[in-house]
Amino acid sequence: MDWVFLAELAINGALTGLLYSLFAIGLVLIYKASSVPNLAQGGLTMVGAYVVLALSHDAGLPLWLAIPLAAVIMFGLGFGIERVALRRLAGRPVIMILMLTLGLDIFLRGTTLAIWGGTSRSMELGVSYEPLFLGDLFISRIHLVGAGVAIALFVGFMVFFRSRTGIKLRAIADDYMASWSVGISVERGVGLSWALASVVAVAAGVIWGEIQGVDQALSLLLLKGLTVAVLGGLDSILGAVIAGIILGILENVGADFLDPLVGGGSRELIVAAVLILTVMIRPHGLFGRHEIERV
Amino acid sequence: MDKKVEAQPILSMNSVEVLYDNVMLAIKGVSIQVPKGEMIALLGSNGAGKSTTLKAISGLLKAERGRVSRGEIKFEGTDITEMLAQKRVEMGICHVIEGRRVFEHLTPDENLTAAAPMGMSRSELDGEKEKIYNYFPRLAERSNSLSGYLSGGEQQMLAIGRALVTQPSLLMLDEPSLGLAPFLVAEIFGILQKINQEEGMSVLLVEQNALAALEIVSEGYLIENGRVVMNGTAAALKSNSDIQEFYLGGGEGTDFHNVKHYSRRKRWLS
Ligand SMILES: Nc1ncnc2c1ncn2[C@@H]1O[C@H](COP(=O)(O)OP(=O)(O)OP(=O)(O)O)[C@@H](O)[C@H]1O
Ligand SMILES: [Mg+2]
Repeated sequence: MDWVFLAELAINGALTGLLYSLFAIGLVLIYKASSVPNLAQGGLTMVGAYVVLALSHDAGLPLWLAIPLAAVIMFGLGFGIERVALRRLAGRPVIMILMLTLGLDIFLRGTTLAIWGGTSRSMELGVSYEPLFLGDLFISRIHLVGAGVAIALFVGFMVFFRSRTGIKLRAIADDYMASWSVGISVERGVGLSWALASVVAVAAGVIWGEIQGVDQALSLLLLKGLTVAVLGGLDSILGAVIAGIILGILENVGADFLDPLVGGGSRELIVAAVLILTVMIRPHGLFGRHEIERV
Repeated sequence: MDKKVEAQPILSMNSVEVLYDNVMLAIKGVSIQVPKGEMIALLGSNGAGKSTTLKAISGLLKAERGRVSRGEIKFEGTDITEMLAQKRVEMGICHVIEGRRVFEHLTPDENLTAAAPMGMSRSELDGEKEKIYNYFPRLAERSNSLSGYLSGGEQQMLAIGRALVTQPSLLMLDEPSLGLAPFLVAEIFGILQKINQEEGMSVLLVEQNALAALEIVSEGYLIENGRVVMNGTAAALKSNSDIQEFYLGGGEGTDFHNVKHYSRRKRWLS
Protein backbone atom coordinates (compact mmCIF):
# COMPACT_ATOMS: atom_id res chain seq x y z
CA MET A 1 0.00 0.00 0.00
CA ASP A 2 1.37 3.36 -1.11
CA TRP A 3 0.21 5.82 1.55
CA VAL A 4 1.51 8.88 -0.22
CA PHE A 5 -0.43 7.93 -3.30
CA LEU A 6 -3.55 7.25 -1.25
CA ALA A 7 -3.28 10.62 0.49
CA GLU A 8 -2.84 12.28 -2.87
CA LEU A 9 -5.97 10.58 -4.18
CA ALA A 10 -7.91 11.62 -1.10
CA ILE A 11 -6.79 15.24 -1.17
CA ASN A 12 -7.39 15.72 -4.86
CA GLY A 13 -10.68 13.89 -4.44
CA ALA A 14 -11.70 16.27 -1.67
CA LEU A 15 -10.77 19.25 -3.84
CA THR A 16 -12.77 17.92 -6.78
CA GLY A 17 -15.62 17.27 -4.38
CA LEU A 18 -15.59 20.91 -3.31
CA LEU A 19 -16.00 21.79 -6.97
CA TYR A 20 -19.15 19.67 -7.01
CA SER A 21 -20.18 21.68 -3.98
CA LEU A 22 -20.18 24.74 -6.24
CA PHE A 23 -23.19 23.17 -7.96
CA ALA A 24 -24.70 21.90 -4.74
CA ILE A 25 -24.63 25.32 -3.05
CA GLY A 26 -26.66 26.76 -5.93
CA LEU A 27 -29.08 23.85 -5.70
CA VAL A 28 -29.50 24.35 -1.96
CA LEU A 29 -30.25 28.07 -2.37
CA ILE A 30 -33.09 27.34 -4.75
CA TYR A 31 -34.35 24.33 -2.84
CA LYS A 32 -34.74 26.47 0.25
CA ALA A 33 -36.84 29.02 -1.61
CA SER A 34 -38.79 26.91 -4.09
CA SER A 35 -38.76 23.40 -2.55
CA VAL A 36 -37.46 21.84 -5.76
CA PRO A 37 -34.04 20.65 -6.85
CA ASN A 38 -33.30 23.06 -9.70
CA LEU A 39 -32.63 20.84 -12.69
CA ALA A 40 -31.44 23.92 -14.57
CA GLN A 41 -28.48 24.58 -12.23
CA GLY A 42 -26.21 22.81 -14.75
CA GLY A 43 -27.64 24.91 -17.54
CA LEU A 44 -27.16 28.10 -15.53
CA THR A 45 -23.54 27.11 -14.87
CA MET A 46 -22.95 26.59 -18.55
CA VAL A 47 -24.57 29.95 -19.39
CA GLY A 48 -22.47 31.59 -16.68
CA ALA A 49 -19.32 30.26 -18.36
CA TYR A 50 -20.47 31.39 -21.80
CA VAL A 51 -21.29 34.87 -20.55
CA VAL A 52 -17.79 35.18 -19.09
CA LEU A 53 -16.33 34.03 -22.40
CA ALA A 54 -18.49 36.45 -24.37
CA LEU A 55 -17.35 39.35 -22.21
CA SER A 56 -13.69 38.41 -22.07
CA HIS A 57 -12.77 36.64 -25.32
CA ASP A 58 -15.44 38.15 -27.58
CA ALA A 59 -15.79 41.65 -26.16
CA GLY A 60 -12.17 41.84 -25.09
CA LEU A 61 -12.62 42.71 -21.44
CA PRO A 62 -10.03 41.51 -18.95
CA LEU A 63 -11.14 38.51 -16.86
CA TRP A 64 -11.07 40.39 -13.58
CA LEU A 65 -13.77 42.64 -15.05
CA ALA A 66 -15.60 40.04 -17.14
CA ILE A 67 -16.28 37.69 -14.22
CA PRO A 68 -17.94 40.24 -11.88
CA LEU A 69 -19.87 41.67 -14.82
CA ALA A 70 -21.09 38.18 -15.72
CA ALA A 71 -22.12 37.74 -12.08
CA VAL A 72 -24.22 40.89 -12.30
CA ILE A 73 -25.84 39.77 -15.56
CA MET A 74 -26.60 36.32 -14.14
CA PHE A 75 -28.01 37.90 -10.97
CA GLY A 76 -30.47 39.72 -13.22
CA LEU A 77 -31.23 36.55 -15.15
CA GLY A 78 -32.05 34.73 -11.91
CA PHE A 79 -34.48 37.45 -10.90
CA GLY A 80 -35.96 37.37 -14.40
CA ILE A 81 -36.64 33.65 -14.19
CA GLU A 82 -38.75 34.20 -11.07
CA ARG A 83 -40.57 37.16 -12.60
CA VAL A 84 -41.34 35.58 -15.97
CA ALA A 85 -41.82 31.93 -15.18
CA LEU A 86 -42.01 31.00 -11.51
CA ARG A 87 -44.46 33.64 -10.35
CA ARG A 88 -47.14 32.18 -12.57
CA LEU A 89 -46.69 28.80 -10.92
CA ALA A 90 -47.35 30.05 -7.40
CA GLY A 91 -49.68 27.67 -5.64
CA ARG A 92 -49.29 24.91 -8.24
CA PRO A 93 -47.95 21.48 -7.34
CA VAL A 94 -44.22 21.36 -6.79
CA ILE A 95 -43.81 18.79 -9.57
CA MET A 96 -44.83 21.52 -12.03
CA ILE A 97 -42.02 23.75 -10.81
CA LEU A 98 -39.62 20.81 -11.14
CA MET A 99 -40.73 20.29 -14.73
CA LEU A 100 -40.27 24.00 -15.34
CA THR A 101 -36.63 23.77 -14.23
CA LEU A 102 -36.13 20.81 -16.58
CA GLY A 103 -37.61 22.81 -19.43
CA LEU A 104 -35.38 25.73 -18.52
CA ASP A 105 -32.28 23.51 -18.64
CA ILE A 106 -33.15 22.27 -22.12
CA PHE A 107 -33.91 25.83 -23.20
CA LEU A 108 -30.57 27.14 -21.92
CA ARG A 109 -28.65 24.37 -23.64
CA GLY A 110 -30.47 25.02 -26.90
CA THR A 111 -29.86 28.75 -26.63
CA THR A 112 -26.11 28.45 -26.07
CA LEU A 113 -25.90 25.98 -28.92
CA ALA A 114 -27.67 28.44 -31.22
CA ILE A 115 -25.53 31.41 -30.20
CA TRP A 116 -22.08 29.94 -29.62
CA GLY A 117 -22.22 26.54 -31.33
CA GLY A 118 -21.11 23.25 -29.85
CA THR A 119 -17.33 23.40 -30.10
CA SER A 120 -15.57 23.37 -26.81
CA ARG A 121 -13.83 26.65 -25.95
CA SER A 122 -11.23 27.22 -23.32
CA MET A 123 -11.54 29.64 -20.44
CA GLU A 124 -7.83 30.55 -20.20
CA LEU A 125 -7.84 31.71 -16.63
CA GLY A 126 -4.08 31.62 -16.62
CA VAL A 127 -3.77 29.27 -13.67
CA SER A 128 -0.61 27.21 -14.09
CA TYR A 129 -0.95 23.53 -14.88
CA GLU A 130 2.30 22.76 -13.12
CA PRO A 131 1.16 20.70 -10.15
CA LEU A 132 1.81 22.05 -6.72
CA PHE A 133 4.02 19.95 -4.47
CA LEU A 134 2.91 19.58 -0.93
CA GLY A 135 5.76 17.54 0.46
CA ASP A 136 5.55 14.43 -1.70
CA LEU A 137 1.98 15.11 -2.82
CA PHE A 138 0.91 16.38 -6.22
CA ILE A 139 -1.94 18.87 -6.01
CA SER A 140 -3.76 20.43 -8.97
CA ARG A 141 -3.63 24.23 -8.74
CA ILE A 142 -6.92 24.93 -10.48
CA HIS A 143 -8.68 22.48 -8.18
CA LEU A 144 -7.15 24.25 -5.21
CA VAL A 145 -8.38 27.61 -6.49
CA GLY A 146 -11.87 26.22 -7.11
CA ALA A 147 -12.00 24.65 -3.66
CA GLY A 148 -11.01 28.00 -2.19
CA VAL A 149 -13.85 29.67 -4.09
CA ALA A 150 -16.29 27.06 -2.76
CA ILE A 151 -15.16 27.63 0.82
CA ALA A 152 -15.36 31.40 0.38
CA LEU A 153 -18.92 31.12 -0.94
CA PHE A 154 -19.80 28.85 1.95
CA VAL A 155 -18.53 31.36 4.50
CA GLY A 156 -20.21 34.20 2.66
CA PHE A 157 -23.58 32.48 2.73
CA MET A 158 -23.25 31.50 6.39
CA VAL A 159 -22.84 35.19 7.17
CA PHE A 160 -25.58 36.21 4.75
CA PHE A 161 -28.16 33.89 6.31
CA ARG A 162 -27.65 35.63 9.65
CA SER A 163 -28.37 39.05 8.15
CA ARG A 164 -31.88 40.48 8.14
CA THR A 165 -32.42 39.71 4.47
CA GLY A 166 -30.99 36.22 4.99
CA ILE A 167 -33.34 35.62 7.92
CA LYS A 168 -36.27 36.72 5.76
CA LEU A 169 -35.20 34.20 3.12
CA ARG A 170 -35.07 31.45 5.72
CA ALA A 171 -38.53 32.50 6.89
CA ILE A 172 -39.80 32.17 3.32
CA ALA A 173 -38.23 28.71 3.14
CA ASP A 174 -40.22 27.80 6.26
CA ASP A 175 -43.68 29.11 5.45
CA TYR A 176 -44.89 31.19 2.49
CA MET A 177 -48.26 32.03 4.03
CA ALA A 178 -46.85 33.14 7.37
CA SER A 179 -44.28 35.22 5.46
CA TRP A 180 -46.97 37.04 3.50
CA SER A 181 -48.92 37.60 6.70
CA VAL A 182 -46.16 39.78 8.13
CA GLY A 183 -45.49 41.62 4.90
CA ILE A 184 -42.44 39.69 3.66
CA SER A 185 -42.36 39.73 -0.14
CA VAL A 186 -42.13 36.04 -0.92
CA GLU A 187 -41.84 36.76 -4.63
CA ARG A 188 -38.82 39.00 -4.14
CA GLY A 189 -37.25 36.46 -1.79
CA VAL A 190 -37.64 33.62 -4.27
CA GLY A 191 -36.26 35.87 -6.99
CA LEU A 192 -33.26 36.71 -4.82
CA SER A 193 -32.57 33.02 -4.20
CA TRP A 194 -32.54 32.34 -7.92
CA ALA A 195 -30.38 35.38 -8.48
CA LEU A 196 -27.83 34.22 -5.88
CA ALA A 197 -27.84 30.68 -7.28
CA SER A 198 -27.15 32.16 -10.71
CA VAL A 199 -24.16 34.05 -9.32
CA VAL A 200 -22.88 30.82 -7.79
CA ALA A 201 -23.33 29.31 -11.26
CA VAL A 202 -20.86 31.86 -12.65
CA ALA A 203 -18.24 30.72 -10.14
CA ALA A 204 -18.88 27.08 -11.00
CA GLY A 205 -18.88 27.86 -14.72
CA VAL A 206 -15.52 29.63 -14.61
CA ILE A 207 -13.78 26.89 -12.62
CA TRP A 208 -15.28 23.94 -14.47
CA GLY A 209 -14.94 25.75 -17.79
CA GLU A 210 -11.22 26.03 -17.08
CA ILE A 211 -10.98 22.35 -16.15
CA GLN A 212 -12.94 20.72 -18.93
CA GLY A 213 -13.59 23.47 -21.48
CA VAL A 214 -16.78 25.43 -22.10
CA ASP A 215 -19.47 23.55 -23.96
CA GLN A 216 -22.88 22.01 -23.35
CA ALA A 217 -21.29 19.14 -21.40
CA LEU A 218 -20.89 21.57 -18.48
CA SER A 219 -24.59 21.24 -17.77
CA LEU A 220 -24.20 17.49 -17.24
CA LEU A 221 -22.17 18.11 -14.09
CA LEU A 222 -25.56 18.74 -12.54
CA LEU A 223 -25.78 15.03 -11.77
CA LYS A 224 -22.77 15.13 -9.47
CA GLY A 225 -23.94 18.38 -7.92
CA LEU A 226 -27.35 16.87 -7.33
CA THR A 227 -25.84 13.82 -5.66
CA VAL A 228 -23.82 16.05 -3.37
CA ALA A 229 -26.85 18.20 -2.56
CA VAL A 230 -28.97 15.16 -1.74
CA LEU A 231 -26.22 13.62 0.41
CA GLY A 232 -25.83 16.94 2.21
CA GLY A 233 -29.56 17.24 2.79
CA LEU A 234 -30.77 19.51 -0.04
CA ASP A 235 -31.40 22.49 2.22
CA SER A 236 -28.10 22.77 4.04
CA ILE A 237 -25.20 24.84 2.72
CA LEU A 238 -22.91 23.19 5.25
CA GLY A 239 -24.22 19.83 4.03
CA ALA A 240 -23.40 20.78 0.44
CA VAL A 241 -19.78 21.44 1.42
CA ILE A 242 -19.21 18.40 3.65
CA ALA A 243 -21.03 16.07 1.25
CA GLY A 244 -18.93 17.40 -1.62
CA ILE A 245 -15.74 16.49 0.21
CA ILE A 246 -17.09 13.05 1.09
CA LEU A 247 -18.29 12.23 -2.42
CA GLY A 248 -15.06 13.53 -3.95
CA ILE A 249 -12.91 11.32 -1.71
CA LEU A 250 -15.11 8.26 -2.13
CA GLU A 251 -15.08 8.67 -5.86
CA ASN A 252 -11.35 9.21 -6.26
CA VAL A 253 -10.14 6.63 -3.78
CA GLY A 254 -12.89 4.14 -4.55
CA ALA A 255 -12.30 4.30 -8.29
CA ASP A 256 -8.63 3.57 -7.76
CA PHE A 257 -9.53 0.33 -6.00
CA LEU A 258 -12.46 -0.66 -8.17
CA ASP A 259 -11.37 0.32 -11.65
CA PRO A 260 -8.80 -2.50 -12.02
CA LEU A 261 -11.47 -4.97 -10.86
CA VAL A 262 -14.35 -3.84 -13.08
CA GLY A 263 -12.28 -2.41 -15.89
CA GLY A 264 -13.26 1.27 -15.63
CA GLY A 265 -16.40 3.25 -15.13
CA SER A 266 -16.52 2.78 -11.38
CA ARG A 267 -16.65 6.54 -10.68
CA GLU A 268 -20.16 6.69 -12.07
CA LEU A 269 -21.10 3.58 -10.11
CA ILE A 270 -19.88 5.13 -6.87
CA VAL A 271 -21.83 8.33 -7.50
CA ALA A 272 -24.94 6.32 -8.34
CA ALA A 273 -24.54 4.18 -5.23
CA VAL A 274 -24.20 7.25 -3.00
CA LEU A 275 -27.30 8.85 -4.50
CA ILE A 276 -29.44 5.74 -4.27
CA LEU A 277 -28.29 4.72 -0.81
CA THR A 278 -28.81 8.24 0.57
CA VAL A 279 -32.36 8.35 -0.69
CA MET A 280 -33.05 4.87 0.67
CA ILE A 281 -31.31 5.03 4.02
CA ARG A 282 -31.17 8.69 4.94
CA PRO A 283 -33.62 10.73 2.89
CA HIS A 284 -32.83 13.91 4.81
CA GLY A 285 -29.17 13.51 3.97
CA LEU A 286 -26.41 14.29 6.41
CA PHE A 287 -27.57 17.76 7.45
CA GLY A 288 -31.05 18.17 5.98
CA ARG A 289 -33.66 19.47 8.32
CA HIS A 290 -36.45 17.26 9.46
CA GLU A 291 -39.99 18.37 9.84
CA ILE A 292 -40.10 19.37 13.49
CA GLU A 293 -42.36 17.15 15.52
CA ARG A 294 -42.95 18.09 19.10
CA VAL A 295 -43.82 15.44 21.62
CA MET B 1 -71.02 54.12 23.26
CA ASP B 2 -72.65 56.55 20.82
CA LYS B 3 -69.53 58.68 20.60
CA LYS B 4 -67.51 55.75 19.33
CA VAL B 5 -69.99 54.74 16.69
CA GLU B 6 -69.93 58.20 15.18
CA ALA B 7 -66.14 58.42 14.84
CA GLN B 8 -64.75 56.95 11.63
CA PRO B 9 -64.09 53.25 12.13
CA ILE B 10 -60.52 52.07 11.48
CA LEU B 11 -61.94 49.23 9.40
CA SER B 12 -65.18 48.99 7.59
CA MET B 13 -66.24 46.11 5.46
CA ASN B 14 -69.37 46.57 3.40
CA SER B 15 -71.42 43.71 1.90
CA VAL B 16 -68.32 41.70 1.04
CA GLU B 17 -68.65 38.53 -0.93
CA VAL B 18 -65.73 36.13 -1.40
CA LEU B 19 -65.28 33.49 -4.07
CA TYR B 20 -62.68 30.73 -3.96
CA ASP B 21 -61.58 29.26 -7.29
CA ASN B 22 -64.23 31.47 -8.93
CA VAL B 23 -66.97 29.08 -7.89
CA MET B 24 -67.04 28.50 -4.15
CA LEU B 25 -68.96 31.31 -2.45
CA ALA B 26 -67.50 31.41 1.06
CA ILE B 27 -68.95 34.60 2.51
CA LYS B 28 -72.06 36.35 1.29
CA GLY B 29 -72.45 40.04 1.99
CA VAL B 30 -70.54 40.40 5.26
CA SER B 31 -70.45 43.89 6.81
CA ILE B 32 -68.25 44.57 9.81
CA GLN B 33 -67.02 47.77 11.46
CA VAL B 34 -64.07 47.98 13.81
CA PRO B 35 -64.09 51.30 15.70
CA LYS B 36 -60.65 52.78 16.42
CA GLY B 37 -59.05 51.42 19.54
CA GLU B 38 -61.75 48.82 20.17
CA MET B 39 -61.57 45.06 20.47
CA ILE B 40 -64.18 43.31 18.35
CA ALA B 41 -64.95 39.61 18.24
CA LEU B 42 -66.02 37.60 15.22
CA LEU B 43 -67.66 34.43 16.44
CA GLY B 44 -68.95 31.41 14.59
CA SER B 45 -68.67 27.67 14.16
CA ASN B 46 -66.47 25.64 11.81
CA GLY B 47 -66.71 26.67 8.18
CA ALA B 48 -68.79 29.75 8.96
CA GLY B 49 -66.43 32.04 7.05
CA LYS B 50 -64.44 33.66 9.86
CA SER B 51 -60.99 33.00 8.43
CA THR B 52 -62.19 33.97 4.96
CA THR B 53 -63.33 37.31 6.35
CA LEU B 54 -59.90 37.96 7.90
CA LYS B 55 -58.12 36.92 4.71
CA ALA B 56 -60.26 39.30 2.71
CA ILE B 57 -59.12 42.10 5.01
CA SER B 58 -55.42 41.13 5.06
CA GLY B 59 -55.23 40.28 1.38
CA LEU B 60 -54.08 36.71 2.00
CA LEU B 61 -57.05 35.43 -0.01
CA LYS B 62 -55.06 35.71 -3.19
CA ALA B 63 -52.60 33.07 -2.01
CA GLU B 64 -55.51 30.64 -1.80
CA ARG B 65 -57.04 31.51 -5.14
CA GLY B 66 -59.80 33.50 -3.51
CA ARG B 67 -61.03 37.00 -4.36
CA VAL B 68 -63.49 39.60 -3.20
CA SER B 69 -66.21 39.43 -5.83
CA ARG B 70 -68.50 42.09 -4.39
CA GLY B 71 -68.46 44.82 -1.78
CA GLU B 72 -65.60 46.94 -0.49
CA ILE B 73 -63.17 47.06 2.41
CA LYS B 74 -61.96 50.38 3.76
CA PHE B 75 -59.06 50.86 6.14
CA GLU B 76 -58.76 54.32 7.67
CA GLY B 77 -60.90 55.62 4.87
CA THR B 78 -58.83 54.10 2.05
CA ASP B 79 -60.29 51.43 -0.20
CA ILE B 80 -58.00 48.42 0.19
CA THR B 81 -60.17 45.78 -1.47
CA GLU B 82 -57.67 45.08 -4.25
CA MET B 83 -54.46 46.11 -2.52
CA LEU B 84 -51.44 43.78 -2.28
CA ALA B 85 -51.14 42.00 1.08
CA GLN B 86 -47.68 43.43 1.62
CA LYS B 87 -48.98 46.96 1.15
CA ARG B 88 -51.72 46.38 3.71
CA VAL B 89 -49.15 45.29 6.29
CA GLU B 90 -47.26 48.52 5.60
CA MET B 91 -50.50 50.44 6.14
CA GLY B 92 -50.93 48.83 9.55
CA ILE B 93 -53.03 45.69 9.16
CA CYS B 94 -51.50 42.51 10.52
CA HIS B 95 -53.15 39.10 10.46
CA VAL B 96 -52.08 36.37 12.87
CA ILE B 97 -53.15 33.39 10.77
CA GLU B 98 -54.73 30.31 12.27
CA GLY B 99 -52.65 27.39 13.43
CA ARG B 100 -49.74 29.16 15.22
CA ARG B 101 -47.68 29.30 12.06
CA VAL B 102 -44.33 30.40 13.49
CA PHE B 103 -41.17 29.98 11.41
CA GLU B 104 -40.25 26.67 12.98
CA HIS B 105 -36.62 26.50 11.92
CA LEU B 106 -35.90 30.00 13.14
CA THR B 107 -35.42 31.04 16.75
CA PRO B 108 -38.07 33.28 18.32
CA ASP B 109 -35.63 36.15 18.05
CA GLU B 110 -35.18 35.48 14.32
CA ASN B 111 -38.96 35.18 13.93
CA LEU B 112 -39.25 38.73 15.20
CA THR B 113 -36.41 39.93 12.97
CA ALA B 114 -38.03 38.32 9.92
CA ALA B 115 -41.15 40.42 10.39
CA ALA B 116 -39.27 43.72 10.68
CA PRO B 117 -40.44 46.25 8.07
CA MET B 118 -37.83 47.11 5.42
CA GLY B 119 -37.18 50.59 6.73
CA MET B 120 -36.93 49.70 10.42
CA SER B 121 -33.55 50.58 11.88
CA ARG B 122 -31.65 48.19 14.05
CA SER B 123 -32.17 50.17 17.23
CA GLU B 124 -35.87 50.53 16.47
CA LEU B 125 -36.11 46.76 15.98
CA ASP B 126 -34.30 46.14 19.25
CA GLY B 127 -36.79 48.46 20.94
CA GLU B 128 -39.72 46.56 19.44
CA LYS B 129 -38.25 43.25 20.55
CA GLU B 130 -37.76 44.49 24.07
CA LYS B 131 -41.35 45.65 24.22
CA ILE B 132 -42.58 42.28 22.93
CA TYR B 133 -40.42 40.35 25.38
CA ASN B 134 -41.92 42.53 28.10
CA TYR B 135 -45.42 41.56 27.08
CA PHE B 136 -44.40 37.90 26.72
CA PRO B 137 -41.64 37.14 29.22
CA ARG B 138 -41.86 33.44 28.39
CA LEU B 139 -40.57 34.23 24.91
CA ALA B 140 -37.57 36.06 26.26
CA GLU B 141 -36.54 32.95 28.17
CA ARG B 142 -36.59 30.86 25.02
CA SER B 143 -35.52 33.46 22.51
CA ASN B 144 -32.64 31.35 21.22
CA SER B 145 -34.14 27.87 20.91
CA LEU B 146 -35.82 26.63 17.72
CA SER B 147 -39.38 27.91 17.51
CA GLY B 148 -40.62 24.53 16.30
CA TYR B 149 -39.87 23.15 19.74
CA LEU B 150 -41.76 25.79 21.73
CA SER B 151 -44.99 24.79 23.48
CA GLY B 152 -48.29 25.62 21.84
CA GLY B 153 -48.86 28.60 24.09
CA GLU B 154 -45.38 29.96 23.47
CA GLN B 155 -45.84 29.55 19.72
CA GLN B 156 -49.09 31.50 19.87
CA MET B 157 -47.35 34.24 21.84
CA LEU B 158 -44.58 34.29 19.28
CA ALA B 159 -47.07 34.51 16.42
CA ILE B 160 -48.66 37.51 18.12
CA GLY B 161 -45.29 39.06 18.95
CA ARG B 162 -44.16 38.60 15.36
CA ALA B 163 -47.24 40.47 14.18
CA LEU B 164 -46.53 43.29 16.65
CA VAL B 165 -43.11 43.87 15.05
CA THR B 166 -44.93 45.15 11.96
CA GLN B 167 -46.40 47.90 14.22
CA PRO B 168 -50.02 47.34 13.24
CA SER B 169 -52.85 49.70 14.09
CA LEU B 170 -55.28 46.84 13.44
CA LEU B 171 -54.31 43.43 14.77
CA MET B 172 -56.39 40.49 13.56
CA LEU B 173 -56.14 37.14 15.27
CA ASP B 174 -57.56 33.87 13.96
CA GLU B 175 -58.52 31.52 16.78
CA PRO B 176 -55.56 32.16 19.06
CA SER B 177 -57.11 30.03 21.81
CA LEU B 178 -57.43 26.87 19.74
CA GLY B 179 -55.96 23.85 21.51
CA LEU B 180 -54.62 25.83 24.47
CA ALA B 181 -55.31 25.15 28.15
CA PRO B 182 -57.77 27.60 29.74
CA PHE B 183 -55.11 29.25 31.92
CA LEU B 184 -53.01 29.97 28.82
CA VAL B 185 -56.02 31.39 26.99
CA ALA B 186 -56.63 33.66 29.96
CA GLU B 187 -52.96 34.71 29.99
CA ILE B 188 -52.85 35.47 26.27
CA PHE B 189 -56.19 37.27 26.24
CA GLY B 190 -55.07 39.31 29.23
CA ILE B 191 -51.97 40.38 27.33
CA LEU B 192 -54.05 41.27 24.26
CA GLN B 193 -56.21 43.45 26.43
CA LYS B 194 -53.15 45.12 27.87
CA ILE B 195 -51.71 45.79 24.41
CA ASN B 196 -55.05 47.18 23.30
CA GLN B 197 -55.17 49.53 26.26
CA GLU B 198 -51.52 50.59 26.28
CA GLU B 199 -51.01 51.01 22.54
CA GLY B 200 -54.54 51.88 21.50
CA MET B 201 -54.28 49.10 18.95
CA SER B 202 -57.60 48.02 17.43
CA VAL B 203 -58.19 44.27 17.54
CA LEU B 204 -60.39 41.98 15.48
CA LEU B 205 -60.52 38.63 17.23
CA VAL B 206 -61.87 35.51 15.53
CA GLU B 207 -62.92 32.88 18.04
CA GLN B 208 -64.99 29.78 18.55
CA ASN B 209 -64.33 30.18 22.24
CA ALA B 210 -67.09 32.76 22.68
CA LEU B 211 -66.96 32.62 26.45
CA ALA B 212 -63.36 33.78 26.64
CA ALA B 213 -63.65 36.23 23.73
CA LEU B 214 -66.74 38.04 25.04
CA GLU B 215 -64.90 38.72 28.28
CA ILE B 216 -62.38 41.02 26.60
CA VAL B 217 -64.13 42.57 23.60
CA SER B 218 -66.60 45.44 23.56
CA GLU B 219 -68.64 44.21 20.66
CA GLY B 220 -69.14 41.03 18.68
CA TYR B 221 -70.43 39.67 15.42
CA LEU B 222 -71.81 36.19 14.95
CA ILE B 223 -71.26 34.71 11.53
CA GLU B 224 -72.92 31.63 10.14
CA ASN B 225 -72.87 30.05 6.69
CA GLY B 226 -71.05 33.08 5.37
CA ARG B 227 -73.51 35.65 6.73
CA VAL B 228 -73.53 37.89 9.78
CA VAL B 229 -76.54 36.71 11.77
CA MET B 230 -76.07 38.73 14.94
CA ASN B 231 -74.21 41.83 16.08
CA GLY B 232 -74.21 43.58 19.42
CA THR B 233 -72.27 44.63 22.46
CA ALA B 234 -70.47 41.92 24.38
CA ALA B 235 -72.97 42.26 27.21
CA ALA B 236 -75.93 41.92 24.86
CA LEU B 237 -74.42 38.87 23.19
CA LYS B 238 -73.62 37.24 26.50
CA SER B 239 -77.21 37.58 27.61
CA ASN B 240 -78.68 36.46 24.30
CA SER B 241 -80.45 33.15 24.84
CA ASP B 242 -79.27 31.45 21.62
CA ILE B 243 -75.68 32.35 22.29
CA GLN B 244 -75.98 31.34 25.92
CA GLU B 245 -77.41 27.98 25.09
CA PHE B 246 -75.21 26.99 22.21
CA TYR B 247 -71.99 29.01 22.38
CA LEU B 248 -71.56 29.56 26.06
CA GLY B 249 -72.71 26.02 26.84
CA GLY B 250 -74.96 27.20 29.65
CA GLY B 251 -72.01 28.51 31.61
CA GLU B 252 -69.77 25.47 31.44
CA GLY B 253 -67.61 26.73 28.60
CA THR B 254 -67.95 26.29 24.88
CA ASP B 255 -67.13 23.20 23.02
CA PHE B 256 -67.29 22.53 19.34
CA HIS B 257 -69.88 19.77 19.55
CA ASN B 258 -72.41 22.17 20.97
CA VAL B 259 -71.67 24.55 18.17
CA LYS B 260 -72.21 21.94 15.50
CA HIS B 261 -75.36 20.86 17.19
CA TYR B 262 -76.51 24.44 17.14
CA SER B 263 -75.97 24.83 13.41
CA ARG B 264 -77.76 21.62 12.68
CA ARG B 265 -80.71 22.53 14.83
CA LYS B 266 -80.92 26.02 13.39
CA ARG B 267 -81.13 24.59 9.89
CA TRP B 268 -83.78 22.18 10.97
CA LEU B 269 -85.78 24.91 12.69
CA SER B 270 -85.69 27.40 9.86
N1 LIG C 1 -58.87 27.79 0.05
C1 LIG C 1 -60.18 27.49 -0.05
N2 LIG C 1 -60.67 27.02 -1.22
C2 LIG C 1 -61.99 26.71 -1.32
N3 LIG C 1 -62.88 26.83 -0.32
C3 LIG C 1 -62.44 27.29 0.86
C4 LIG C 1 -61.07 27.64 1.06
N4 LIG C 1 -60.93 28.06 2.33
C5 LIG C 1 -62.15 27.98 2.89
N5 LIG C 1 -63.06 27.52 2.02
C6 LIG C 1 -64.48 27.32 2.28
O1 LIG C 1 -65.05 28.53 2.69
C7 LIG C 1 -65.95 28.35 3.76
C8 LIG C 1 -65.54 29.20 4.95
O2 LIG C 1 -64.28 28.75 5.42
P1 LIG C 1 -63.46 29.48 6.54
O3 LIG C 1 -62.14 28.83 6.61
O4 LIG C 1 -63.51 30.92 6.32
O5 LIG C 1 -64.32 29.11 7.83
P2 LIG C 1 -63.97 29.36 9.38
O6 LIG C 1 -65.14 30.05 9.95
O7 LIG C 1 -62.67 30.00 9.51
O8 LIG C 1 -63.94 27.88 9.93
P3 LIG C 1 -62.99 27.22 11.04
O9 LIG C 1 -63.57 27.60 12.35
O10 LIG C 1 -63.13 25.77 10.78
O11 LIG C 1 -61.61 27.74 10.84
C9 LIG C 1 -65.93 26.86 4.08
O12 LIG C 1 -67.06 26.26 3.47
C10 LIG C 1 -64.68 26.37 3.44
O13 LIG C 1 -64.84 25.05 2.99
MG1 LIG D 1 -60.87 29.41 10.31
